[in-house]
Amino acid sequence: MSKLPQKNELGFFEIRLESIGGLGANLAGKMLAEAGVVGAGLNGVSFSSYGSEKKGSPVKAHIRFCDLHTPIRATSPVERPHVVGIFHEALYKTINVVSGVYEDSIVLVNSTKTPEQLKDMMKLIGGTIATVDAIGIALEENNRVNMAIMGALHRLCPFLDPEFFKGVTRKSLEKKYPHSVEPALRTFDRGFNEVKFQTFALPEGVTMPEPVRQDTPTLGYETQPMGGVITNPGNSILKDLSISRQGMMPNFEEDKCIHCAACDNVCPDFCFVWDEKADKKGRNNMFLQGIDYQYCKGCLKCVYACPTEALTELREVDGYADTKRIPHVFNR
Amino acid sequence: MSTETTFKSPEQLGTVEQRIVYESGNEMAAYAAHQINYHIMGYFPISPSTEVAQFLDLMKANGQHDIVLIPADGEHGSAGICYGASTAGGRVFNATSANGFLYMIEQLPVQSGTRFPMVMNLVCRSVSGPLDIHGDHSDLYYALNLGWPILMCRDPQAVYDMNIMAIKLAEHKDVRLPVLVASDGYFTSHQKRRVATFSKREDVHAFVGAQPPAGYADVLDRNNPITVGPYMNEPDYINNCYQQSEAMYRAETVFEEISKEYFELTGREYPLLDLYRMDDADVAVFIMNSSSEIIKDVVDHLRDNGIKAGSIAPNMIRPFPQRQIAEALKNVKVITVADRADSYGAHGGNMSHEIKSALFTYGNHDIKVISRVYGLGGKDFYAEDGLAMFEIAIEAMNSGKVAVPFDYFGHSAGDPSKAPQRVLEPMKYEDLNTGLITVKEEVDENGKIKLAVKVPPLRNLTKKPKRIAAGHGACPGCGIFSGLELFFKGIEGDIIYLFHTGCAMVVTTGYPYSSHKATYIHNLFQNGAATLSGVVEMFWERKRRGELEQYGLKDDFTFVMITGDGGMDIGMGPAIGAALRNHKMIILEYDNEGYMNTGAQLSYSTPLGHRTSTSNVGKKQQGKLFQHKDTAQIMASTNIPYVFTGSEASPQDLLRKAAKAQWYAQNVGLVYGKILITCPLNWLSEEKDGAKIIDAAVNTCFFPLYEIEQGVTNITYNPEDKGKRIPTLEWLNMMGKTRHMAKPENQERLAAFEAEVERRWTRLKAKHEHPAL
Repeated sequence: MSKLPQKNELGFFEIRLESIGGLGANLAGKMLAEAGVVGAGLNGVSFSSYGSEKKGSPVKAHIRFCDLHTPIRATSPVERPHVVGIFHEALYKTINVVSGVYEDSIVLVNSTKTPEQLKDMMKLIGGTIATVDAIGIALEENNRVNMAIMGALHRLCPFLDPEFFKGVTRKSLEKKYPHSVEPALRTFDRGFNEVKFQTFALPEGVTMPEPVRQDTPTLGYETQPMGGVITNPGNSILKDLSISRQGMMPNFEEDKCIHCAACDNVCPDFCFVWDEKADKKGRNNMFLQGIDYQYCKGCLKCVYACPTEALTELREVDGYADTKRIPHVFNR
Repeated sequence: MSTETTFKSPEQLGTVEQRIVYESGNEMAAYAAHQINYHIMGYFPISPSTEVAQFLDLMKANGQHDIVLIPADGEHGSAGICYGASTAGGRVFNATSANGFLYMIEQLPVQSGTRFPMVMNLVCRSVSGPLDIHGDHSDLYYALNLGWPILMCRDPQAVYDMNIMAIKLAEHKDVRLPVLVASDGYFTSHQKRRVATFSKREDVHAFVGAQPPAGYADVLDRNNPITVGPYMNEPDYINNCYQQSEAMYRAETVFEEISKEYFELTGREYPLLDLYRMDDADVAVFIMNSSSEIIKDVVDHLRDNGIKAGSIAPNMIRPFPQRQIAEALKNVKVITVADRADSYGAHGGNMSHEIKSALFTYGNHDIKVISRVYGLGGKDFYAEDGLAMFEIAIEAMNSGKVAVPFDYFGHSAGDPSKAPQRVLEPMKYEDLNTGLITVKEEVDENGKIKLAVKVPPLRNLTKKPKRIAAGHGACPGCGIFSGLELFFKGIEGDIIYLFHTGCAMVVTTGYPYSSHKATYIHNLFQNGAATLSGVVEMFWERKRRGELEQYGLKDDFTFVMITGDGGMDIGMGPAIGAALRNHKMIILEYDNEGYMNTGAQLSYSTPLGHRTSTSNVGKKQQGKLFQHKDTAQIMASTNIPYVFTGSEASPQDLLRKAAKAQWYAQNVGLVYGKILITCPLNWLSEEKDGAKIIDAAVNTCFFPLYEIEQGVTNITYNPEDKGKRIPTLEWLNMMGKTRHMAKPENQERLAAFEAEVERRWTRLKAKHEHPAL
């Protein structure tokens, strides 16, 4: 049995993975837990947040490890993680991904940004930030992002044996997908080796913020309309869905557009913004203005529906969507 | 279920060979069932229990057991399958949750009252409206009066153990009752733990018997004909109940015998009550299942601080271990009873009353009992919550009185400054009524009404507001919303729509958000058509009484019921009922070929051979075993005025059909329409290919575009005439769920699917050519 580097008062080393549906965090959580329980001989428990989460929506996976004879009793989410693994750096915009970390916790972010930048973005006061460019590695090795993150997480959890995990990976892939064994192992190894760390000491006189329980609602029994009726419907327009995009986005070039609305017809997320204007003959007609990227999940159906070159695929770069966004005008 | 996770236990207890797996509660229920090798499981998907059938199907596809898995048309049907199967002498298994459990509940006293054993897992979840899919005990409490013994499971290990013991209990000569095995949805069903199991199926069979005991009622024994379920009124019925009551009480002793035998084999002990540090406890908390483990950490913490705390959790609640509870509490000063469900108006949850009754019966008038309802709808139970439960008890012990005997725990008032504010003004009627779409009645040479429909190019309709707001949580590339909005574009004026349970409902109404700009109603899966017909008739009646003038309506509403995710299976009866009554409404089905909101189980509209989570592909099974349901033709045979099919890949066609649908639904009666939509997540297809895949489905003639207007069939797009027909494989190869169908070993299945597509297409063409067909 391996020895855990840190434990809370009940004897647990706790890990929380922050991700969006579709990036494989649920599976990564399961594999990580199996690496600890089966591979390292620890006792453990693992689970994910469930509900209406769909592909592209925020999800969490929770893992607890303890010594073999420590009873596992809690079923509640991990609120005080020793390790946080963040699969998508933009999650910080809508979620407090570092909620409840200790000053000696490690926060792993899949990112090409520097730890200083990430520290500011996530408003982390103290602790260690680890970074790995999992998307870059996955693209180069033609494998999955979560394999690179698994490699990095193994580095962060020295009680786990990378060789065990690689053995399981080989075994589960070699029959059905023999050609993907080597890329998967390379992706894992690069994730393991390419993690960069930077520790930020907690400033004197400052304490880490207390976690906010994940089951704290916005409304309550005095403010919720009776019977669960929603009296302000349509309020989903307040949501920002841009984190659902996994690297690709549609790009709009107005001068190539024939305003046929083929894109609007297939868009599941109602991102296309139209306005009525006079055409060349002076008659009023509808003209496509652009894309409201706040709601675009990057499915690219529109690019394939477009009969011209007005819509094209674009590898998303930081800030591009914000500058090019044409916001919907509601309540005209 | 991954076998990679099997490993040797370092500490071997008991006498039987065991091995450790690392699995969840649902996996363990399935694992136990596969070891028992039940004869039949009749099931219907509902979260969080669905995985049990999924894991069994996966194991079946790999040849690991022989259980016949029957996907029912709803839980009522699944209970019927199970009941019938149990009268026919074999072993029967089921798993369900929440509203599904309530939907089958009519059948369950029949099962127990006629004394046919079976085992059902209740993976506990909130029974609710508004819909909550997370874990509490409100479904379980409906089971208290069914006459089924109820075994409780605090963790995945207990799920496994109780499932092995349950069948033995059910079949015992002194019991002969169906048994319910209750575990906590998500907390237990979806959390993985180390679980010790029997290594060998022979050892399981040695314990439960390889075959069910002989000598009982069996409808297949032709030499001993029997009448099952007679018409029995007074004065006989009470005696049947008395027999059942006696059998139920005997289940307690029998369970104790079985669990003793099980302990010797496995080293795991299941007394009627799990008592933790209760010997000298002053204060105690009674709490069930997963929370009963968390509370032990709290007990330890309090003991470390000099407080004599203890906790009680039952391993069985039917029969209720009354004497044992009274005994355990005889020296306790205050107990907090934590119920994970309310019994509205009863001044306490069910367990608090049963415990008070036990204390009263055994003459304990000194103890103070506090009732708290907690953790509803899956609200997490943290150790700090357990501590608060004890603090209430300690306060009562110190003050000598109970300040608040009954209350909720964990509810919150909310901040008035965050109360809901309207962010969107209602859509303007003038914007919705563009005048760009016209439907005119024309009388043809035979005196029949024909509709002349005009629709503008899509571009002009971009001015019309979308009925659904951006910001919904569907997966990237989801075909539901582009499909629905295209249909809505063809409808002028105001719509009131009802979505029944499914992906479209879940992703548009995650509280406190709603993506519906106009009025929306949800009702459960099976009942959308009936519910909307009630709305429709209330509209017409209130209009007739002049009660709607206050709203200044400019025109009648168009009423639309949105169904999908298999809703036309469980909701078939009410949909046909609404059609036969011919209400002025539209039923629009988005067909995504499965129960996608619960994890991609097969629905009856899943085509032959397609892979879903309950029609897996393995060495013994190649996807779905039977052909897809032809819902449009079924609805057409109710003789409603208008039936159509449509696709987002043929937008003008669908717009025209929407316009006609509105005309019929406002002037004549019920309309049914089906649009095929992509589910990239579960079809394992590229998100960007959504429209392309649907277009291919149309061009294979698997999903022909047609309408049946006043009984006359009209194919609105014929790929053969346009020279666009493609082989089915061209379409099937676009989706991961069907890629296996191209393999040589599936040639026969593919041929059977193609033959069915061709047969239906040929019939449709005949109908198109002959108005009388």
